Amino acid sequence: QTKWNLPAAYPADNPHSENLVAFAKDVDAATSGKLQITVHPGASLFKAPDIKRAVMTGQAQMGEVLLSIHENEDPLFGIDVVPFLATSFPDAMKLYQASKPAIAKKLDAQGLKLLFVVPWAPQGVYVNKPLATVEDMKGLKWRAYNVGTARIGELVGAQSVTIQAAELPQALATGVVNSFMSSGGTGYDAKAWESLKYFYDVQAWIPKDYTFVNKAAFEALDKPTQEAILKAAATAETRGWKAWQDKSTWYLDQLKAKGMNVEPPSPALKAGFQKIGEQLTADWLKKAGADGQAIVDAYKKM
Amino acid sequence: MANLGMIELSFVLLGVMILLLGSGVWIAVSLGLVGFVAMALTTSLPLGAVLATTTWSASSSWTLAALPLFIWMGEILFRTKLSEEMFRGLSPWVQWLPGRLTHVNVIGCGIFAAVSGSSAATCATIGKIALPELDKRGYDKGLSLGSLAGSGTLGLLIPPSIPMVVYAVTANVSVLQVFLGGFLPGVLVMVLYSGYIIIWSLLNPNKVPPRDPPMLFRKKLQESAKLAPCLLLIMAVFLSLVLGFATATECAAWGVTGALLLAWWSGTLTRKNFLESIMSATRLTCMIMLILAGAAYTTAAMAYTGIPAALATWVQGQQLTPGMLALYLSIMYIILGCLIDGISMIVLTAVIVLPMVKQAGLDLVWFGVYLIIHVEMAQITPPVGFNLFVLQNMSGRDTFTVARAAFPFFVLLLAAVFIITEYPQIVMFLPKLAFPD
Amino acid sequence: MRDRRVDRNASYEDGDCVAGDDLTAGGPVRRALDLLYLGAGYAAGVFLVAIFAIMMTMSVGRQFAINIPAGDDFASWCMAAMAFLGLAHTFKRGEMIRVGLLLERLHGRTKWIAEIVALGIATAFILYFTRYAVQMTYDSWRFNDVAQGVVALPLWIPQLGFAGGLAILSIALIDEMISVVSGNRPSYELGSPDETPEEFVERISQGGGG
Ligand code: NA
Ligand code: NA
Repeated sequence: QTKWNLPAAYPADNPHSENLVAFAKDVDAATSGKLQITVHPGASLFKAPDIKRAVMTGQAQMGEVLLSIHENEDPLFGIDVVPFLATSFPDAMKLYQASKPAIAKKLDAQGLKLLFVVPWAPQGVYVNKPLATVEDMKGLKWRAYNVGTARIGELVGAQSVTIQAAELPQALATGVVNSFMSSGGTGYDAKAWESLKYFYDVQAWIPKDYTFVNKAAFEALDKPTQEAILKAAATAETRGWKAWQDKSTWYLDQLKAKGMNVEPPSPALKAGFQKIGEQLTADWLKKAGADGQAIVDAYKKM
Repeated sequence: MANLGMIELSFVLLGVMILLLGSGVWIAVSLGLVGFVAMALTTSLPLGAVLATTTWSASSSWTLAALPLFIWMGEILFRTKLSEEMFRGLSPWVQWLPGRLTHVNVIGCGIFAAVSGSSAATCATIGKIALPELDKRGYDKGLSLGSLAGSGTLGLLIPPSIPMVVYAVTANVSVLQVFLGGFLPGVLVMVLYSGYIIIWSLLNPNKVPPRDPPMLFRKKLQESAKLAPCLLLIMAVFLSLVLGFATATECAAWGVTGALLLAWWSGTLTRKNFLESIMSATRLTCMIMLILAGAAYTTAAMAYTGIPAALATWVQGQQLTPGMLALYLSIMYIILGCLIDGISMIVLTAVIVLPMVKQAGLDLVWFGVYLIIHVEMAQITPPVGFNLFVLQNMSGRDTFTVARAAFPFFVLLLAAVFIITEYPQIVMFLPKLAFPD
Repeated sequence: MRDRRVDRNASYEDGDCVAGDDLTAGGPVRRALDLLYLGAGYAAGVFLVAIFAIMMTMSVGRQFAINIPAGDDFASWCMAAMAFLGLAHTFKRGEMIRVGLLLERLHGRTKWIAEIVALGIATAFILYFTRYAVQMTYDSWRFNDVAQGVVALPLWIPQLGFAGGLAILSIALIDEMISVVSGNRPSYELGSPDETPEEFVERISQGGGG
């Protein structure tokens, strides 16, 4: 009997964590209990930024994390968060397929084997006033938490504000921040409707969680167990994509029910964001070089 | 784990912990070693790498960065004339209450607690002026010592509070919510204390000296103006938060700014005082942070062993009511509190207790306040209680005499625990008001 | 709790106390070591002020559209650097807490042995800790680990304070071990025998844990 640990970054009741627990159960059943995977959700074993490194160095055998938090390490890891490149679930799936070989190869070089990938809900703009065009965003107190959001803030002339995710609800309540970009779920958890009235479902990008295994640990298993993991991983991937498509609609309905104006962007606003998107894609391509260009070309042909 | 059951493992680890602590090994090191033994017995994973990862990750934390600032704020205020001003400002107003100036201990500590995060500092700051003044007027020594020991502990319950920051970070709950949760229980404890002093004084009228010569109303107001800087500081920190100038973490920095201004205004901000306050705060932070690092590693190690999860399942199986769990934990914390200091008490038990508490359906913010009241009790129970040490040295009486004087106030804290367990809304009212859900 | 009460006749054999940061006592090696601990302690103090400065700038700056990119990350790194760089100084000054109940009741040779055992355990553990902290910092450099926020700072830079602080604490522990084994009173034993009650109260009341 083998026991594995799977540190995960998000709370136990998050669909990602629930999916991982189901995955662990599938593996347990398929191997008749020979491989037992304990999921440690809510960053209870390692915090999100440390999970990849922990699995690389054998501190845990498997791990799950939002890969784009490592975009500073390698631009390829940030492909999911290039704004306005893939703005719907079908597009996100295409982008995933186009980028998978390159990302799997990068992870492989780090001693990690990619198992499966599950998306989050699309990112929209939470704001305290109606937006007709991107010019209306000038002067907003805009939460900048990664390269992409900082750059968007800069391009629209908003004032970038640094606020940790944990302090976001309080920062919204006291007006430290009056706009930010996130998924329907984050705004729901932060009770954004209490201080911000508008959510523009611009679907700027769809970030994804990657589940991977330490290659050496995987190769030490016998063939049937390896097969069982891969099979359970494929099931988890399908289950996860389905769950999040349902969930993202549910979140938007909740926001509406709480009295928030949930709207698609007006054509003018959309055009403005598209332009920013082109700029940011160009930024990213400059960093990602030929590898990145190849992925984007392949994605656009799909 | 295959050849060592969960229960045996738990006892081995508990034994190792007691052995290490008992032989005088530093608390942080003992904690780290327990984590080390736990992992070595149950996994074949790289222990050292986990040690480095978890401790680095625990210490490079934005939320924790409020801790040294609250400590520094206290160190600056400790070096000002705040205590004298507090005594003169408050004493004209409590003369009519049975117990008279004894109430200055309670109210003074309550106000000072709103700028200080430490119990011993609150006790010493108010005590260094109140104790000799009360003595001079012939107040009952037992009552003034006891009320001072008890009221000093308010430093921990009324925000800001150093152990509350430690708890919030350990339990991964919002510091702000725990702070808000402590406020009304703090007022409750003050009411209990003052109520006790009134009853005691009515029962022992011959032990309360006559009132000070009456003072003109205008003079009273003039004296009370001395309270203004302190109240302004409290307001400034509070407003910086509410008006959206600062996040919960940043308002600690506003506290430091306010304390520096106050010290400068009162002329006590010398170069020497300033540097000493920095180095004092640094050392205290380092001491706490190494313990927190040890605890972070042990928490991770315990997650590998599965003990906390098993205990939580066990609690679930026992069908313990939250009230019964609170009772058992109270007994444990009171015993622990006699022997070790508050912060160690929080972090030593967190990894085991928190999953149980969650399983039993207790709110973690409520539990934080409950735990902090036990930490308060620990300050006034012998043989190890910081407030006892402070007063022992200020008054020249021995630890046990001071502890006996403080005993009624220990009982009142117990009563407060009972009340907040029966009426959890006393704790939850303000957090719920600020974060409706 | 602090190991606070001091056995007033506590010099082992012929030992006299080497004060935590009396930089004039002893030979050049002694002076260099004490300077190292104190210097790292001062560096930790500088990081405390840096945390303060960053937070105030973030808070006030927001009113004037000034933002420190990744200010939260920088404050966190200052926090870690402060926490670990000040350890040796804190240890030497006797402000690292332990349960002194049993130790305080021992005398003479028994106490000397107990002290060496406690020191030995701590030294071994901190050396082990240091070894892996250094390894992690080296790995961060080797793997080119960078921060995840708006500023992609290589992580080995802030981790230097973490590994460095532990290394200095290791040196302080070994130093202390040698000193105690050769019969000196531990420098972390608090309070000089002629500490006044006022000094004592001031020392105790600065304990935030209590
Ligand atoms: Na307080
Ligand atoms: Na005690």
